Amino acid sequence: MSGSRQALPAGPIVVVAEQGPEGVAPVSLELVSCARALAAGLGGEIRLAVLGEKARPLAEEAARRAGCPVTVVRAPGLREFQGEAWREILAPLLAAWGARAVLAAHTTSGLDWLPGLAARLGAACVTGVEALAWAGGALTLTRTTLFGKALEALRPEASPLALTVQPGAFPAAGPAEGPEPTVEQITAEAPALCSRLLEAPEGPARDQALARARVVVAAGRGVGRPENLDLVRRLAARFSGAALAGSRPVCDLGWLGYQSQVGQTGAAVAPRLYIACGISGARQHTMGMQGSGFIVAVNSDPRAAIFNLADVCVVEDLVAFIPAFLARCGEPEAMDPPAS
Amino acid sequence: MRILTCLKQVRHPESLFSLEEGRALWPEPGLFKMSACDEFALEEGLSLKDALAGSEVWAVSLGPARAEAVLRRALGMGADQAALLLGEDEPPLRPARVAAALAEWARPKAFDLVLTGVMSEDAMQGTVGPMLAELLGLACATSVVEIAPAPEGGLRVLREMEGGRRQALKINLPALLTVQSSARAPRYPTLSALLKAKKATIASHAPELNAGAGDRERLLGLAWPGRTRAGLTLEGDTAAKADRLYAILRERALL
Repeated sequence: MSGSRQALPAGPIVVVAEQGPEGVAPVSLELVSCARALAAGLGGEIRLAVLGEKARPLAEEAARRAGCPVTVVRAPGLREFQGEAWREILAPLLAAWGARAVLAAHTTSGLDWLPGLAARLGAACVTGVEALAWAGGALTLTRTTLFGKALEALRPEASPLALTVQPGAFPAAGPAEGPEPTVEQITAEAPALCSRLLEAPEGPARDQALARARVVVAAGRGVGRPENLDLVRRLAARFSGAALAGSRPVCDLGWLGYQSQVGQTGAAVAPRLYIACGISGARQHTMGMQGSGFIVAVNSDPRAAIFNLADVCVVEDLVAFIPAFLARCGEPEAMDPPAS
Repeated sequence: MRILTCLKQVRHPESLFSLEEGRALWPEPGLFKMSACDEFALEEGLSLKDALAGSEVWAVSLGPARAEAVLRRALGMGADQAALLLGEDEPPLRPARVAAALAEWARPKAFDLVLTGVMSEDAMQGTVGPMLAELLGLACATSVVEIAPAPEGGLRVLREMEGGRRQALKINLPALLTVQSSARAPRYPTLSALLKAKKATIASHAPELNAGAGDRERLLGLAWPGRTRAGLTLEGDTAAKADRLYAILRERALL
């Protein structure tokens, strides 16, 4: 960071807990890990902020697990996650604390409030941080860019820092040695809001077969035409206990139902074998399958991001490759597509 | 309702590029398109216009002269007005810079609704939309998959969250929404509108960008990612690769 700045904030590094349906989401502990790496050069204590009505019972457990002090922030009318409320409550709080940095998960929640808050605070803002390094007092942040195919290194040149951190990029923090971390509670003023939560409709039902499958064969936009989906289906049929899945674009196109979607806003799966057919490997997809036991990727683009996390890379058009593979498995080449 | 859609021109996702001294080198001539989620944002804007008599849809893009192509496509799809804010996009402008230029241009026009994609297809930062909302003082919701006028005024929107959970919000106007892709496929331009769009004059502006000076983050350079797994690339012709994969899967008792 530039040393010429006059009054650098001298307060804490604030980690804002990610909240899921079951309370503080595990990614929050990864954020604490990232905050510790940041603190190595930035200094300052690390403080975990847990917002909302359900925050209190969650906070003590979070403090114990993360090993850092927790501030529970409540406000009249503040119940579950609402981006605008988070932003309006955090903005004055971070300013009052003189926060050096604020960290959120790189999720639909974190991205809902953090960039706007960064604009308000004049913060250096980097989203989807996957690694950070200090060298000679200078910080380098790394994130994925260019369709998932390249990494970019960025140097913050303003203060405070506002970062969203890619889930899975940092290990979960363990409890620190020493006395039990403190939990304090503050009550913020009710923010004036331009939006309010309504009763949410049910999302698409989850495909239980997908969650249980030993093998997942997934189709991406590279499938090209809905007819080619039959090839992927026939490939899946070669494996016992296999389920067919799709990336978001394939589900948006209606070629597969949303219950078959794997990725950030779909299902997270970890089968023994994952075969990605025509999937580019955008982060939003790989977040849902990177824990698979063995990953095979078939894609005609040799630079497709999916190859970076594959065990076996097949640079081929799936329309040519799948029939060749099926033939090797002993299937007649010109087989009628199975009746659906 | 006066609706603004912000559209980014991106390279075709399968464009093969190389890296030299930390910078991307692209093949010439480049292949360009409208960023995927921006196209969904435009579709949402056009659908609202279809539903609400007297509405108009504007399209704006910040980029070099070639970005005019996405604006002509937007006009062909049914946008009423288009404006190009001239600025080089390689190396890319920082999001705060893009948001500031868009805000300065949009502020006097007092749009009721601003729509952007949830993130660009290439840089995937997800920041320009919410930053623009902040600069214009607009209500904001991100990752929106459904928009409908609310009977009591304002909009009812559905956001998509982790694991497919949904969040429903009533949001006041003026507002900015960032749109996620959905089952509502962007419409194709009509031939007659495309012909008209081809002849349309697109107003261009040259905002003060001061690229680089005073940026809050500085791009140090690009690199290829490391591989997190073995990444064994199969060699030979299609049949040879099929044989090899078959053998690997049998060996591991996966087939």
